[in-house]
Amino acid sequence: MSTPDTAPPRPTPAPATSDGSVYLRGNGRALDWATRLLALLPFAALAAILVVLFYEALPAIRFNGFGFLVNRVWSVGSTYGGVSKAGGVLHPFGAKYGAWPIIAGTLETALIAMVVGLPLALGAAVILVEKMPPQLASVAGLVLEVLAGVPSVVIGLWGLLTFGPWMARNIYPAVHAIPIPFLHNQPVGTGEGLLTAGLVLAAMIVPIVAATTRDLLRSVPVATKEGALALGMTDSEAFWSVQARWVRTGVVGAAVLGLGRALGETIAVALCTGSVLQIAQSIFSTTGTIASTVVSQLDSSQSDPTGLAVKSLAEAALVLFLITLLVNVVARMIVRRSARGAALPVGAGF
Amino acid sequence: MPAAPYARSGAPPVSTGRRVRNGAWWGLCAAGFGLVAVPVVWVIAYVVTKAAASWSWSIFTKPVGATYQGLLNTIEGTFLMMVGVALIAGVIGIGTGIWLSEVAKPGALRSILRGASEVLSGIPSIVLGYVGYLALVVNLHWGYSLLPALITLSFLVVPYIAKATELALSQVPLAYREGGEALGMRRTHVLGRIVLRSAIPGISTGLILALAISVGETAPLLYTAGFTSGYWDGAFLGPAATSQMPYLTYATWTFYQVPTTQFKNALPLSFDAALLLMVLVLGLILLARLVVRLTQKYSPERATGISRAALRAAKANRLGSARAAPQA
Amino acid sequence: MHKTPHGGNAAQRVPANRNTRRLGVAGLAILAGSVTTAAVLAPLAGATTGHAASRPSKSSKAKTSTKKKSTGSSLLKQDESKLTALEKGAPSGVTLSETGSTLFYPLFQEWQAVKPLGIAVSPTGTGSGTGQSSALNGTVNIGASDAYLPSTDPATLLNIPIVVSAQQINYNLPGFKPSFHLRLNATILNGIYTGKITNWDNSQIAKINKGTKLPNLAIVPLRRSDGSGDTFIFTSYIDYQAPGGGFVQPDMGGPNTSSTSFPSVPAEQAENGNSGMLSACEKIKGCIAYIGISYRREALASGLGDAALLNGYKKGPQYVVLDPSSIQAEVASYSKIPASGTLSLVDSKSAKGGYPIVNFEYAIVNENQSSSTTAAAIKAFLAWGADPRGGAQSKYLASIGFQPLAANALAVTLPLLQKIGG
Repeated sequence: MSTPDTAPPRPTPAPATSDGSVYLRGNGRALDWATRLLALLPFAALAAILVVLFYEALPAIRFNGFGFLVNRVWSVGSTYGGVSKAGGVLHPFGAKYGAWPIIAGTLETALIAMVVGLPLALGAAVILVEKMPPQLASVAGLVLEVLAGVPSVVIGLWGLLTFGPWMARNIYPAVHAIPIPFLHNQPVGTGEGLLTAGLVLAAMIVPIVAATTRDLLRSVPVATKEGALALGMTDSEAFWSVQARWVRTGVVGAAVLGLGRALGETIAVALCTGSVLQIAQSIFSTTGTIASTVVSQLDSSQSDPTGLAVKSLAEAALVLFLITLLVNVVARMIVRRSARGAALPVGAGF
Repeated sequence: MPAAPYARSGAPPVSTGRRVRNGAWWGLCAAGFGLVAVPVVWVIAYVVTKAAASWSWSIFTKPVGATYQGLLNTIEGTFLMMVGVALIAGVIGIGTGIWLSEVAKPGALRSILRGASEVLSGIPSIVLGYVGYLALVVNLHWGYSLLPALITLSFLVVPYIAKATELALSQVPLAYREGGEALGMRRTHVLGRIVLRSAIPGISTGLILALAISVGETAPLLYTAGFTSGYWDGAFLGPAATSQMPYLTYATWTFYQVPTTQFKNALPLSFDAALLLMVLVLGLILLARLVVRLTQKYSPERATGISRAALRAAKANRLGSARAAPQA
Repeated sequence: MHKTPHGGNAAQRVPANRNTRRLGVAGLAILAGSVTTAAVLAPLAGATTGHAASRPSKSSKAKTSTKKKSTGSSLLKQDESKLTALEKGAPSGVTLSETGSTLFYPLFQEWQAVKPLGIAVSPTGTGSGTGQSSALNGTVNIGASDAYLPSTDPATLLNIPIVVSAQQINYNLPGFKPSFHLRLNATILNGIYTGKITNWDNSQIAKINKGTKLPNLAIVPLRRSDGSGDTFIFTSYIDYQAPGGGFVQPDMGGPNTSSTSFPSVPAEQAENGNSGMLSACEKIKGCIAYIGISYRREALASGLGDAALLNGYKKGPQYVVLDPSSIQAEVASYSKIPASGTLSLVDSKSAKGGYPIVNFEYAIVNENQSSSTTAAAIKAFLAWGADPRGGAQSKYLASIGFQPLAANALAVTLPLLQKIGG
């Protein structure tokens, strides 16, 4: 905690920290305290969310044990068949909760989103910064911002009603000819499933990664680029030897932020995966993610009189929280280590 | 695409292989952008054609009602929530940003609070909504109503506003602050008159884009706002039925599931609501751009009283020295 | 065929419906007495087109509508006057909130439009589970649910039957006319949903559909991805009729609103909501789906067929087509509906011509309301809703295919309504 000093307004020289902090300490105490109070609120909210979630999930954690992470069956049990007690936790007969299918679904959809979305986002950012004239770049930037701003329910509906079925008719039959195990000769289905959800997620993470990459590329000093060109490099060679190296770590950070978004997206994925609690048999088959399961199962879970079903959803949410926390921490570490100017993509919204 | 601005006269000749590779690389990047633009155009075209197919202006004059007549009450609800989020999340987010950038001492507390804000932004929206439901709607007996919805939605976007504020403030050069102090201004004045003012474009962009996010959210509201097909009764808290808040994303999320033989208007309303959401989001994005453009007159140079002529001279000078930069 | 209540030794409670159902099967003697009660239905539901109360003891192929006002009609008169009394107690200027079942929701909207008895209602379609829990924790006045409450829920929470719904088994078989109804039964459905029957020309299906040329087409079983009362009654049907309860007992521990523990079948697909089931089934040739009756018109209009299902009628099982009279026959065949209203109307085995997947749509209400005005408003509104002269007229029910409560069910609903106080 700080010690607000009572020094008179002026004399103490402003500490010249690089980011100008500590700047206001010592005067403007009201402002100091007001902003500190406000800054504590997000922290308090996070803490409250965790406490509520953990408190809610505790009986489920006790009941499900470690098997929660590896078992494959998610069954509310017979909600009309009476209840019994195990380890002090009331539960309906036959209740068992295994979250592995939805953990796998979460990771798989996010992986597809990254594999597809990352190159597209990087390509878009590179062409936007390096080759587009300012007016065109401004329009292109608008395209990215709009993509970031499309409500997830709208993009989900589009994925469910148009994009998925269209892909299943026109593209997936070609894709399933590719001799890769998970993919080859699998039934392409109706366009609802792992691949469609992954592609829709890819579209949703592109703006995040692209906006950050754009800002990073713009921070590359011109003189360095000119130096590379002066050595006789083509501009793609110059890009790879100068800009690419300059932004490398920052891009990794941006990618991890996109990954965080892909892991936690709810509504669009709930609409496009089919949200079932099953491990996908192939890249085309339906599956579910943790977030989509919470939204699709929350209603029926509330008819479990012991409340264990809802508590198990809370436990799943807690698992997702830990995964995203891990991703965020990694992102922060990478971004911090990267070059200055590796701004988080807040301005672009996500 | 203009020819590379970097003159190649005098450079050693480039082999065909390198030329091809060069072309291929930029071609790939352009294709990447092309593919990114596809879903944007497709989504917009899809929503517009679907909505236009059975468009009726009465959606602006009638509430959803029992027979899916219009969307006026949901539009009203979405705007109300937008204003509420702007107030609540705006104050908290900007305050947090100011503290993180201007007030806090670098150290454990600051990185913990900053980290907490970032982690908060990573929580899935449905989880936030469900916690809001448990804590506010059920435990505090607020019922489905405006306030729990606003609070839940606000904490969803606070991290974005805080981050935007912090970034905008940290980009104001230290010299401006020192200049202000050298003139004998109190520090709060320096912050208010110079630093914050210079950061207005960044902060308002962040705020507006956060609003765009909040307008498009569904999951946090399902279990906090409830829904009513009539108009909101003006009460901030429940449990009255009419205190529940209608909103646009609810229409998109649920109306497409209504049996069309019974209510043939429901499905079109789903797409009308999607179109309105898109227009709203696009409008907010354009507003953010406009704000940036307009407030450039409050850019640091102006705020500190440098004359326009001097500014122009300085700019010309800078451009002169960095002519080669394509993105000055 | 009927199983013992599951759980056996460890069961602390035995579901009420099971007991009742056994009563219904065992206590056939009572049936004779109930026939008249059932017959009373005809005048009661006079507004319902094509309605025919079936009399389990005599032949009752539709049309033989028994418009008999004998012993039972006094009971009806009595119930009518009780309903009227409740409706007259409606306070003015009250708005009630409702949330829950998406199947029930369109009817609440119809009611909302007419603002009956001066009571405004503000409905939302969230889902039966939300309806139950919202009524429990007081966030709404009325929760709507397709399934009754588990017996372990607090006793102060009433589940009040208001109207009757049913479920269709739809299939997408090109070339089959909508007027044709493929015969299916729980054993075959169990085979399909467990992946043992994978093609429409399967010999088991052919055996009960003699004379029908079945296509060589893979079956795509659809199920709900979200939790749903539809899943509950569908699994109830399989549980009651398929040998050993089919997949329901071993995989789910009994009928359930959640389909998450359905056996995994390669061809299957999960869909969100009835509309998701419907639109997917339209797209997929060879699909089979269980869909709420509200979507019947839409399903038939989009070329889907609906199956004639086997009931377990004790004098000889019959394949029955879903229509108003077969729904009413099923409801009327329950000789004893528990006072709590908790009963699955799935295959009573004593309904001649009874369609086997029928269910009550429940209003879930806390018997302790915050004020007597609210309590009176809820009572009046729900009494009106269940009243065949009020909200259960065919002008409200017809478009969604619901049926009004039979007299035997109304006799249970009334005392439940009267319990609401404030």
